[in-house]
Formats: sequence, structure tokens, C-alpha cells
Amino acid sequence: MARGDNAAFALVYDSCAAAVLGTARRVLRDPAQSEEVMQEVLLEVWRSASRFDPAVGSARAWVLTLAHRRAVDRVRSEQKSADRELRAAVATVPFDEVSDVVELRLEHERVRRCLESLTELQRESVTLAYYRGYSYPEVAALLGVAVGTVKTRMRDGLIRLRDCLGVE
Amino acid sequence: MMRRRTAALHTLLGAYVLDAVPPEDRVAFERHLCGCLACREEVRGMREATARLGAAAAVEPRPELRERTLLAATRLRQAPPAAAELSAPPSGLSRWLPGRHAARLRWSGWLAVTAAVAAVFAAAAIGLGFHLGSMQNRLSAADQRDHEIAMVLGATDAVRLTADVRTGGTATVVMSHRAGSLVFIARRLSALPASRGYELWLMGPSGERPAGMLPPSHAGMSGPIVVRDLRAGDQVAVTVEPAAGSPQPTSAPILSVGLGG
Repeated sequence: MARGDNAAFALVYDSCAAAVLGTARRVLRDPAQSEEVMQEVLLEVWRSASRFDPAVGSARAWVLTLAHRRAVDRVRSEQKSADRELRAAVATVPFDEVSDVVELRLEHERVRRCLESLTELQRESVTLAYYRGYSYPEVAALLGVAVGTVKTRMRDGLIRLRDCLGVE
Repeated sequence: MMRRRTAALHTLLGAYVLDAVPPEDRVAFERHLCGCLACREEVRGMREATARLGAAAAVEPRPELRERTLLAATRLRQAPPAAAELSAPPSGLSRWLPGRHAARLRWSGWLAVTAAVAAVFAAAAIGLGFHLGSMQNRLSAADQRDHEIAMVLGATDAVRLTADVRTGGTATVVMSHRAGSLVFIARRLSALPASRGYELWLMGPSGERPAGMLPPSHAGMSGPIVVRDLRAGDQVAVTVEPAAGSPQPTSAPILSVGLGG
């Protein structure tokens, strides 16, 4: 039985580790912390596997939702809120870097193409939040637009992304 | 007032899925989500989309992390969660999504499938909510395969074997004699020209039986595929063949693993 357990967890690891690590790395930047999050998330997946129901969403969405949230929560808990505000106020977000990241490092051509199909503001709102871990008020500050606008763009952007990717 | 509040929450949907809402908004939104079927459906679709963003950012972990994490999982299994935890209400992450009316998602690739299968296996192993009946209600080719994989992984006599592939990469076989089946996965196989593929064989005392082509690799992984009808004295082998497969091996095996029994 123990061997069966190991084999099953090895499958989880082999199938998810790279995506979990990549998701955490985007948000956290720090390699060591990202590895910690990866390990935490995979163990959490393993521990709470009984909660996963394939009828209500894919395993990938379940695992990566967990990974993203864990990474974002870690970023937020570590940075004092003042720190975050300062960062949001003064940061000149290197958009070139964002688009570089998106253009050069996304493995999946389709994801890249679908991101390109978004309006600029939609794309920036979605990628700043998902890949950089900024909250919507921070994104609004960074982009110099109203908070309400950012919320709308995030939702519209995700809808367009979903439709472009052909998610059911 | 109530309506205005609800409308305000609706606009948070995208930000919520992106984990871009401050904690107090998150709590309010999740409360709202419980009573809003349309919202849950929208969240479900968006989560599949953000998961693609995450998967697209995949980076290969340092090799030593694998053993370390596997070891940690072993320790975790030895200390099962407390009873209180086991009976806790299901996490919002997995349950805010409509159940039986939702179209089953097609996963693109092995990632989700293997995770799901391992998850199902884990559920069976801890004896929680694993109902064969509900699995069999969702029969499709992919489900059938998931089910078979789960049966092999969950078998009490499951054995895991790992071997190097002569031309590069490693193969893992999880086999159950009782189920008469094995699950085969390969990692980091050498790339082949489009006209060629890796074909699996069962090689026994009475000759070779083709056991299927390995699907193209995805992020360095090929498979998992299920091989059925194991017989005594079989070896599982891999050869390089024309992409459409051959009825008989036309080249020397680059992997051959004795299955014992």
C-alpha cells in the first residue's frame, strides 16, 4: 500500500510541480520561497485530495487556484501594508518586463495569442494581478485609472480569455 | 441598498478569481458566491482560464526537490489529518462550482488527468467519499481510462518500477498483477521526428503484443497510458516505430522491464 501511495503522489508531483512552481515564481519572484510554496501546495493537494471533485472543475484549476492564492497570500502577509502602498505609489511597473515575460516565456502559444486578443488595459489588469500578485486597488494605482475601471477590465479580460481559450 | 451591494459584489468577480481582492472583500464575495449559481458558474470558467495562465508559466523544479517532497508526503501519510479536519466542510475552492449540470471539462493533457486520478486514489486510500458508482456514472473514454488508472494505483499489490530508457529519459511503471494492468509514464524521452513514435509492447513467452503508442510528450512527460491483459512472464518494452505504429517491433527495444509474477 505504501508503495501505491508513493506512486500516486509521484504522479501528482510529476504532473503539477512545474506549473505550481511557475505560478508561485511569477508572484513571489524569490526562488526559495517559490519552492516552499510549491511543496506546501503539493502536500496540501495530497492531503485534501478527497475534496477534489472532477465533476465540478479540472484538477489543474483546483491545484493552480490553490497555488496562486497561497503565493499571493504570502506576498501580502510579508509586505507591510504601508510597504505595499508605497510600492504601488512609486512603482514604475516595467510593462516591458510584463510583456517580455508574456511573450518570451509562455510556453503555450495559444495562451499568448489569447492574451494578445485582450485590450491593452484588460491585458495589463489581468497580468499585473495574476503574474505579479497586485490587488485591484494597486493595479488601479499603477495604471492610473479608476478602481471601478480596473475591476471591470479584469472581469471582461477574463471572460475574453476564457472564450478565446475555449474553456467550457 | 441590498441590490446595490449585490451589484457591487458582481463587479468583483474577475478580481476575485485573480486573487486581487483585499481580504475583507474576499470574505464578502465568498459569502455572496454561496447563494449565486450564475456567479459560481462564471468563477468556474474563469478559473479554468487562469489555470492556463499558470500552466503556461511552468518552470521545471530542481531535481532534488522531487525526492524531498515525496519524502515529506510519506511523512504526511503517516500522520493522517485529525478527525475534525476530515469532517470539515469542503473547501470553497473545490465546491463552489455547480455539480451535475456542469459539462464535464476536457482536460488538455495528462496534467489534470493524473492529478485527478491520484486525487481519486488518495480519497479511496483514506476511505473518504470514494464512490465507485458515481465514477461509473460518468463514463467516457477518458473517464474509463482515469478509472483504470485509479484501479491500478489503488490496488493493494501496486508496485512501482523505474528504469532508464537507453536513448535518454526514464520510464515509470506502476503495476498491479491483481488488476492485470499497468500504468506507464515516461519522462524526458529524446525527441523524435514527427514520422516516428514510441511504441509500447508486452513481450512474453508467446511473442510480442503491441500495447499502444506513447502520446507526444507534454512538458517532458509522455503518458500515462494503461496497458491491460498482463500475462505471466511478460516484459514491458519500448521501441521506436513509424508514428502510426507497427504490428511487430521493427527495431531493438530501448527499454525492457521484467514484470515478474
